[in-house]
Amino acid sequence: MELTLFIIVGAVAVASAVLMLISQRAVHSALFLVVNFACIAFFFLMLSAAFLAMVQIVVYAGAIMVLFLFVIMLLGSERLYPEQHPRFPWMVPAAIALALIFLLAVSLAVIQGEIDLSGREVAQPYVRVVNALDQLDAVDMYLDGERIADDLAYGEASEFGAWARGRYDLALFGPDADPAVDAPLATTKVDLNRGEALSFTAVGTRGDARLVVAEEDLSETDRSDVLRVTVVNGIRSVEMIDVVRGSGSSEGAVLIDNLAYGAASEPALIRGGTADLSVFSDGIRRDRLVTFADRALTPEQGQLWVFTTRAQSDNSFEDVFLSLESNALPSFGSPASIGLALFARYALPMEMVALVLLVAMIGTLILTKDMLVVRRPVRRRLANPPAEPQAPAAPETASRTSLEG
Amino acid sequence: MEAPEVATELYVLLSAILFILGTLGVLLRRNAILVFMSIELMLNAANLALAAFARQWGNLDGQLLIFFVMTIAAAEVAIGLALIVAIFRSKKSINIDELHLFKN
Repeated sequence: MELTLFIIVGAVAVASAVLMLISQRAVHSALFLVVNFACIAFFFLMLSAAFLAMVQIVVYAGAIMVLFLFVIMLLGSERLYPEQHPRFPWMVPAAIALALIFLLAVSLAVIQGEIDLSGREVAQPYVRVVNALDQLDAVDMYLDGERIADDLAYGEASEFGAWARGRYDLALFGPDADPAVDAPLATTKVDLNRGEALSFTAVGTRGDARLVVAEEDLSETDRSDVLRVTVVNGIRSVEMIDVVRGSGSSEGAVLIDNLAYGAASEPALIRGGTADLSVFSDGIRRDRLVTFADRALTPEQGQLWVFTTRAQSDNSFEDVFLSLESNALPSFGSPASIGLALFARYALPMEMVALVLLVAMIGTLILTKDMLVVRRPVRRRLANPPAEPQAPAAPETASRTSLEG
Repeated sequence: MEAPEVATELYVLLSAILFILGTLGVLLRRNAILVFMSIELMLNAANLALAAFARQWGNLDGQLLIFFVMTIAAAEVAIGLALIVAIFRSKKSINIDELHLFKN
């Protein structure tokens, strides 16, 4: 199906390009070029570049082609200047020969080049840092010596950032620590594989900190009534916990079963809505640790749940539930993803392109400055065919006289 | 991710064909506006290849490059058409064979 569409639209694109080249009237050429641009926009859609397809239609098929048509109409060029015999007659065969050689070379390169479709490097891994570490206000996190979180407050999560694949040393430091001098609070080794989204969660206490690598699923769900949840257990008082929907001990569905301290669950799909969440100890539905009542479970959203213990001011401990949003990453080629890249990584090139546009604008103004200044002889010659005798007074003068009269 | 139905090679081939047609237009047509349109065709062919490779590698940089190419193309068209109009006003022709700015 897709291949059939590709062949049909590709044939239209090539045909319109050829017609653009051979048509004798410039207006026809411009209209064939619009068809060609529309075909390219269609290919952008097929290549999952939806935003670029829109820009292609608006900028190319819209703005640029209007400029072309405007100039063609302004100059009347298609009737005034038909193609004459070329000054360089050898150009035609030479150009066609060159083109064929180039096409041959490209075909050979494409066939022989072994573009490896199997080794498609899909999305990069994404990582973020979550601080659920007791007894410290803020933490720093370093990935192979590079800081990925700076003074992250308790209960906060950093933004997801893309990283290259590979094996990294992950190190947790207290605030204002120097990684070259101070010893880390906790270290672990992580493997970043493609397409993964990892939340490095710091749990435990200052003396016994743990780094939990929770893998989240940021893809969008197909259904609108469910949400994806990844659970991290940081409750120190028991070895394992169960998370149950509901407040009682008998009823309620088990959401997460037997999650050890310092471990993260697999991403699970759960039903949205408002629910009580109860945490039980170690498979026995008797020993309820805590119930978090009326928690809003927003569907179509990813959440990272961190159950942890936090020391209170009166030296007692309380089990705390942190729910952190993990929104789906913008899909490939969407306006959001393009905007993110454009305004983050490509901010400087974009500024420079804007500067080029500004220079072009000023240049256009300077080039056409003579036309903006009213010069009677030029106007008269442009406005009237040369065969006719002197034209009557310019309309401006006439209207002015009539106004004065 | 499953393999796409239309291979990247096909897009590159189509892009090469369109690019060659654009090159032929630049070399063979004598009307300056047609030459400009052919340049636009070549830029679009390059854009198509960029989009194909962006999907191939799952990397957004190709698509961003298309964005920049489009911007530059818009600037280029504005300047180029202004030049054509200016040349038409002084030479009364936009046939590029008749333009000899360095003679006489």
